[in-house]
Order: sequence, then C-alpha cells, then structure tokens
Amino acid sequence: MTIAKKALPYLLAVIASFIAAGIFIALMGFDVFKAFETILFTSFRTPNGFVQTMLKFVPLVLLALAFTIPLTAGKFNIGGEGQMMAGGIGAAAMGILFPDLPAILLIPLVILGGVVAGALWGLVPAWLLYKFNINEILTTVLFNFVAFFLIDYVCTGPWRDPAAGHPTTVAISKSAWLPLLVKNPPLHSGIILAVLVAIGIYIYTSRTTGGYELIATGANPRAAGVFGIKTRNMFVLSLVLGGAVAGLAGAFEVAGNQHRLIEGMQSNFLQLGLIIGLISRGNNGAVPFVAFLIAVLEVGASAMQRTMMIPVEMVFIVEALILLFVLLSDVVRRK
Amino acid sequence: MDITVINFLKLVLLSMVPFVLAAQGTMLGGRTGVFNVAQEGVMLVGASIGFLVSYYSGSIFLGIVVAMLSGGIFGLALAYFTTTLKMNQFVIGLSLFFIGLGVSTLLPKLILGITLTPPLIPTLKSIPIPLLSQIPFIGPIFFNQNVLVYVSVLVSIGLWYFLFRTQKGLELRSVGEYPMTADSLGINTTKMRYWSAIIGGTLIGLAGAYLPMVYAGTFTEGMTMGRGWIAIALTFFGGWSPLPILYGSLFFSAVEVLAFRVQVIGSFLPHQILQMLPYLATVLVMVFTFKRSRVPGFLGNNYDREKRSL
Repeated sequence: MTIAKKALPYLLAVIASFIAAGIFIALMGFDVFKAFETILFTSFRTPNGFVQTMLKFVPLVLLALAFTIPLTAGKFNIGGEGQMMAGGIGAAAMGILFPDLPAILLIPLVILGGVVAGALWGLVPAWLLYKFNINEILTTVLFNFVAFFLIDYVCTGPWRDPAAGHPTTVAISKSAWLPLLVKNPPLHSGIILAVLVAIGIYIYTSRTTGGYELIATGANPRAAGVFGIKTRNMFVLSLVLGGAVAGLAGAFEVAGNQHRLIEGMQSNFLQLGLIIGLISRGNNGAVPFVAFLIAVLEVGASAMQRTMMIPVEMVFIVEALILLFVLLSDVVRRK
Repeated sequence: MDITVINFLKLVLLSMVPFVLAAQGTMLGGRTGVFNVAQEGVMLVGASIGFLVSYYSGSIFLGIVVAMLSGGIFGLALAYFTTTLKMNQFVIGLSLFFIGLGVSTLLPKLILGITLTPPLIPTLKSIPIPLLSQIPFIGPIFFNQNVLVYVSVLVSIGLWYFLFRTQKGLELRSVGEYPMTADSLGINTTKMRYWSAIIGGTLIGLAGAYLPMVYAGTFTEGMTMGRGWIAIALTFFGGWSPLPILYGSLFFSAVEVLAFRVQVIGSFLPHQILQMLPYLATVLVMVFTFKRSRVPGFLGNNYDREKRSL
C-alpha cells in the first residue's frame, strides 16, 4: 500500500508527460501510438536493443550519482560531464602509456586513472569552495567547458591518430579493453562495477556513520557543525567523490566502448544525469531504477528518430516534463 | 590611432551585448529574490526562435520580438513555480534549462528538417549615428554599432535609473531584500516578483537572439557555449547593480574577443588553451570578487506571507 502510494505520483507524472508529448506529436502529423511503442519497447524487443540500453545505463547511473552524492551534502555538482571527460583522458593516458602491461594490471590501472582524474577535476571546484567560498554551481559548470577543450587538445596532440579524420587519439592497448560480458552484441563488464558502485554508494550514504554525516550536513549545515561535523570537509569530500564516480564513467566509455579518446564524445549525459538525480529526489537508492527507465527512453528515442524521423529531442523534453511533474506532485501533496 | 586597436575595441563592444542583456535580466529577477539559473536554456530558445521567425518572416525585428516573448514566457513559468507554488528556485531553474535546451534543438529540426547547409538570415547592420560617428577614434568604436549595442547600454542606464532613482524601483529592491517589511508597507510582493522575472526573461531571450543575428547568421546546437552561466558570474561580479554589470561585461567580452583574435593571428599557445580562457577567467574573477559581492538579501528564497518568520 505504501509503495503504491509512493509510486503513484511518479506514474501520474510519466503519464501526464506522455500525454503532453502525444498531443504535440499528433499535431506535427506523426503516428502517436507507433511513436510511443517505439520509445517504450525498443529496449525489450531484441537482444541488441537491450544491450544498447545497458550501455546507456552505465554512464547515466554514474553521472546521476555524481550529482546526487554532493546533493546529499547539499551541494550541486553540475560538472559531471567535465569530470567524466577528465576521467576519459586519465584512462586513455594509462592505456596509451603502458601498452605492454598484462591485462590484469592494466585494466585496474586504466580504471584508476579515470577515477583519479575525475576526482581531481571535482577537487578544483571543491577547493575553491573550501578556500574562497565560491559557489560550486558556477565553477563546476565552467569546468565542463574547460574539459571539452582539453579533450580536443589531447586528441590533436602527440597521441593523435593521423589516420582518423576527426580529432581522435590512437587506440588504447588491447589489454586495457574491458572484458566482454556478452560477445554479440558486445556488452562490456563495466556494468557490473557500475551496479556495485551504485549499491556501495547507497549503503555508504544510508547505513554508515560517514554517510550520515553527509546527510546531516545537507539537512542543516549549522546544526551539523554544532554537533562537531566538519561540514566544509564534507562539502569537499562529497564533490570529490562525485567527481571520482563521474571519472569512472569516463574510464568505462574509453576502456569499454570507444577504446580511444574522441573529441566531442560528450553527449547529453550531464543533463540526463541531473534529470535522473532530481527525479530520484537525491535518493541514491532510487537512482539506478530511474536511470534504467531513462536509458530505455533514450534508446527508444534514437530508434524513433531513425524509423519515424521524429527528432530525439522530443523525448528529452518528455524527460524534462516528467521531472517537472514529479516536482509538482510535491506541491499537490502539500496542500 | 591604430586601426587594430579600434577594431578590437569595436568588437569588444559588439560582443558584450549578450553578456549585458542576460546579466541585467538575471539581476532584475534577483532584485526581487527570484534567482534564475535557466539562462543557458532561455538564451538558446531565444536564439532558436529568433532565428526561425526572422528566417520565415524576413523581418529581424519580428524575430527579436518573438524571441523576447518566448523568454518572457520562461520568466513567467519561473515566477509561477517559485512565487505561487513556492518550489525550489534552483531545481525549477534547472528544469526550465532542460526544457529550453530541448525546445531550441527540436524546433529547427522539425521546421527546417535536418539539413547539411542551414539557411542564413542577414545579420544586423551597423547604424552609424550622425555626427557622433565622425569623431576620430571614439566615433567608430561607440557610435557605429548595431542597434542592439545601443539598446543594451540604454537598457542598463534605464534599469539603473528605475532601480535607484524611482519610488517603484526602491519598492522592487525592498522585495528582494526583506519581503516581509515590503509586504507590511503595502507593496504587492507577488506582482513585483512576477514582473521582474518576466521582464528579466525577455532580456535573457533577447540576449540569445543576438547570437544568430550578429555572429553566425544561423542557429547551431548549443551555440550559447556557456554564455548564460558566465552571465550569472557576471551578475555577481557586478554586485547585482546595473552599471557595474555593464562595465564588468566589457571585461568578459574583452577576454572572449582576445581569445578569438589570438587564435586567428596564431600564437605559441595551442588554440584549445585559448578557447578555455573565457571560462578560466570567469573562475578567476569569482575568486577575487565573490566574497565582496553585494547580493540581494532574499536572493533564491520564496516568500510565504502566511508564515510568521522568514
């Protein structure tokens, strides 16, 4: 009963957004039911569709966590994509610099390279917040753009693949590739680690003392300070942790998917991560489930664009509307 | 005087417009406590719709008007969700940013289709002001610009006069400082917040429309390139006051132009490092000004008159 009651506003939000989108799609002269069917069921009709969904799920869940972990401590990390790109650079660097290491050493090194680079990218705004009290929202956003140009720089630098037309680095060593979980269609094993990280973060924030200190800081920094929690350290910790998780996503993109660094490999992961985090209301336990649903919608959206020529942005607006309606359900309940 | 200096300063003035307008829009809303963080999305919508309307109607003026209206609608939505429904301003701002981002790319794709060669609109022409533009050095820099450069300066001065020299402006500022007192004096805080958010939104929409109409002649995905976020930093830099914001925008614009010019001329620095400059400079500026910045006391909060305390 309580679960049903909790799920109801979400369900209504989804339905309301689809109705709004449906009206718009119909007005544009497209077949609404075919469009919805494509959006919702592409992921489940073929093995390929499901693997695509899983591949989308990995960066989405990690980027959503990169947003919700600092949110637990009351800080907004809008720089997940920059941290992810930094992680990609760190991972690619390891894969290119140490090509002769055996896989058993190189794969952890590549992942570590991504995590550390992402954490460092998150540390800069955290430090600026700690030292100068600068609003983290703006600094994290601005460092996204810095990361995009940095990736372009790395891709045109000494590691550039001269054979590629687009700025791209050479491929990382084969022994740095993440082992495949499913051969055909290829699904890399990063998803296992991503799920483990999600579970770990959930346990950390909801079942441990350290996590409780984060929550207390987010709920009321002054009260937390009175009880001896070093809130400013908590801010830094949460932002660095968020950066590390985003960096992991970057390492997976490089070591699992692309096997190289590509200029412009950022997608709309940032916005989707924020939407997922906000729909989950910052609840780390809910993030993986919401991330899966958004991954389903995203895979459906590209299929819809391919087969029906309806732009993918249609679904992005649906996702934003779901968020808005979920937020509105709070207001309705308050009354 | 050296022609390159004149050209450089002329470009700085030309490029300051989106910063000025977006920051003044942010400032106006913030002065009643409504903190807009959807600039990036609203600017993109202004750019997209402004471009589409100009292209199909053949009238840049109409494009500007519709872009401003669409920005105003976003401002209205922000005011409604935050002031009437009392929802978290930052979360609503982000949601509106997402919607703006989606709408701005969806519309051109639906209306124009996916084309390799996007259509172009004529860009805004310079309008030399008679006599004044003849003054050596100063003339070509200040008095031979496109109409929106003049508008952005006039808007800034107008906002300064309104906020600091009129009764209504004083009342508006009081709503953003301490709404309870304003309310007790009979000022309609809700109305103030709505109008400041709506007019602020139109300014931000206009800032977006400037991009296709002056730089590219067309709309490209994500063409704001973080200018909306930089505008927020600029608003803090300017201490939420119209005239300092106007001066501050010269700095942000100068960095942008400089980074671009040096790229064209070529230097020992790789161009990607130069492209990072505007963002890094913004962060640096925040380091030096954030602490001292005067911020409206009630910024980012929602006022509930039925509560006993703020």
